[in-house]
Amino acid sequence: MAILGPARVLMVSGKGGVGKSTVAAALAVAAAKRGERVLVADLEDRESVGPIFGLPKLPHQEHHIEAGITGLSVIPDEALVEYFRVVYRVPKFSRALLRSKAVEFATQTAPGIRDILLIGSIMQAERSRHDGRVQYDRIIVDAPPTGRLPRLLDAPRAIVELVRAGPIKPQAQRVLDLVLDPRRLQVVLVTLPEEMPVRETVEAVETLQKMDVTLGSIVVNGIWPALDSVGKNAKQKLRAPAEAAGLGAEALDALAAVASAHARRVANQRNTMTELSEQVTLPRIELPYLFTERIGRDEIDTLADLLEDR
Amino acid sequence: MRADELLAQKHIVVCTGAGGVGKTTASAALALRAADAGRKVIVCTIDPARRLAQSLGLDGLKHDPTLVDASAFKRRKPKGELWAMMLDMKRTFDEMVLDLTSRDRAEAIFANPFYRHVSSTLAGTQEYMAMEKLWELHEEGRWELIVIDTPPTRNALDFLDAPRRLTDFFEGRFLRLMLWPYIKGAQGGIKLFNAGARAALRAVTKITGSELFSDVADFFVEFEGMYEQFKRRAVAVHELLGAKHTSFVVVTAPTEPSLREARFFADRLQQEKMPLGALLVNRTHDVPDAPGLQDPRALVAQVGGGPLADALAVYADWRTVAAREQRLLNTELGALGSTSVWRVPDLADDVNDAAALREIGELLATA
Repeated sequence: MAILGPARVLMVSGKGGVGKSTVAAALAVAAAKRGERVLVADLEDRESVGPIFGLPKLPHQEHHIEAGITGLSVIPDEALVEYFRVVYRVPKFSRALLRSKAVEFATQTAPGIRDILLIGSIMQAERSRHDGRVQYDRIIVDAPPTGRLPRLLDAPRAIVELVRAGPIKPQAQRVLDLVLDPRRLQVVLVTLPEEMPVRETVEAVETLQKMDVTLGSIVVNGIWPALDSVGKNAKQKLRAPAEAAGLGAEALDALAAVASAHARRVANQRNTMTELSEQVTLPRIELPYLFTERIGRDEIDTLADLLEDR
Repeated sequence: MRADELLAQKHIVVCTGAGGVGKTTASAALALRAADAGRKVIVCTIDPARRLAQSLGLDGLKHDPTLVDASAFKRRKPKGELWAMMLDMKRTFDEMVLDLTSRDRAEAIFANPFYRHVSSTLAGTQEYMAMEKLWELHEEGRWELIVIDTPPTRNALDFLDAPRRLTDFFEGRFLRLMLWPYIKGAQGGIKLFNAGARAALRAVTKITGSELFSDVADFFVEFEGMYEQFKRRAVAVHELLGAKHTSFVVVTAPTEPSLREARFFADRLQQEKMPLGALLVNRTHDVPDAPGLQDPRALVAQVGGGPLADALAVYADWRTVAAREQRLLNTELGALGSTSVWRVPDLADDVNDAAALREIGELLATA
């Protein structure tokens, strides 16, 4: 599958509500099914990917969550403490620092420091080695939504330009190298086949391409199946066969109402997808809307298989 | 509370919820319905879909209250008035600064690079500015009803916390202590430091370099004297949100993450004694029942093929989704007790004209 290409770090983003956490989880499962050792990481400490794997949230330290998959929720405060621990080797001091509110100060006043730390944690996982080989073959990041992603990925450049000295500068440069290297990091944008998410996707593609960030496939989530045989005038088309099947007027009305709504939805989806393909030339992977009792671990498996097929 | 009752009685309606659930559309639909009922209404949106913005005459950058042109409503003009505007975060911040300080001071603040960061990217600024705009519109006193859309926050709780966080930030006792050595002309301040703060300052300077702190220190010097007013404003806004004539409408999609977030937010509003008017569950899949359709899948097999079989299969799929949504509504919202739940069925189309907004308004009123 093209989506699991050479880049080991996949940043999965999209407008709120499009199912980016679902897609991130499905990508992690797809990679694990190939035998890859996978880290799935959340950058906003949300209850998003966690519940899919039966956890309230992903753990704050790298922790095995199922066969082949490790989970991690990156918290900037912890990341700062970790940074101090690694750079200055003073764990006690780090704890005092955390308590002293200095973290809040540093992360709020110095633009981008928090963002550098977040991506820095991902970079650390990317570089981490175990028994003479990389610890993770694939790192799937449930990244912030498209509205915030450009700022996150642009932070290292901003810091490199803004800060004249100090250890944060080389750190920012290393993070920038990761962000700009197509062999190491790609952004996977998830959208729904609807006006607003598509518009946001188109804007994000333009912005990220200007920043020289490499984009992988666009995942269009929740594609509704066509209902071409019914089309417009559902009631007219269905009347005769419904009568033949012994269905009454009420049943005909109910069927026609649902069929019409469905057909409108599909027509709208076609227009939106045309718009998307006119404005974005990246490869597209389509995932179906799931008409299932629940969206749980089994459904993620289904989506993972579909991602692998396409 | 029923939608029409709420729209007739309240002065402020705050639509909130996670991103991507249709807050903007819901805000516009509520505002138009109130205007149709005869009220003088303004809707302040954050980031409307282009065609929805066009339909409200907001195409281009209309950051000032604009009376929606009669042509937007086709033949049926509202009995009252519908005004609309888009929030410009940076401009709202600038205007607030101008309001709270002298022009000279304000110009100095605008010129500071750190102000540009605070006013455009600091966490919580957008949320705070939405509230500031609400306060301004309220103070202007031109509208009977203000419907305000809120920014898509990381999670809905940010919205309530942002004003406080930003006030803390500006009040900045800690910040000013930290910045003391960088404030030009300051003397002996370092003595005030305890050992912990000194160590923290050294560490932070190590990673950021010290130049950045000069800008920040200048900024805080310029802001001196505004803290108190800034804080008073935040308190006033908070009181306005808790007032009797204010109501929150929590908008959610019928999906598990969205409902979970909506429930947290509803709980939080209740804890803060903020008036929760209703939960608006947007874009549900409602499937009419009918005799003969108890087991649509079995019928698909009987019918064999053709349009009826296809329609039956789709009907069965929708019913599964409807059952899933109902189960989620029961489990996630069951604990909320007497809170009104307004369900708005999915219109299956993008909502981008007054007719569609009115359709949603009608669905809301009968929900």
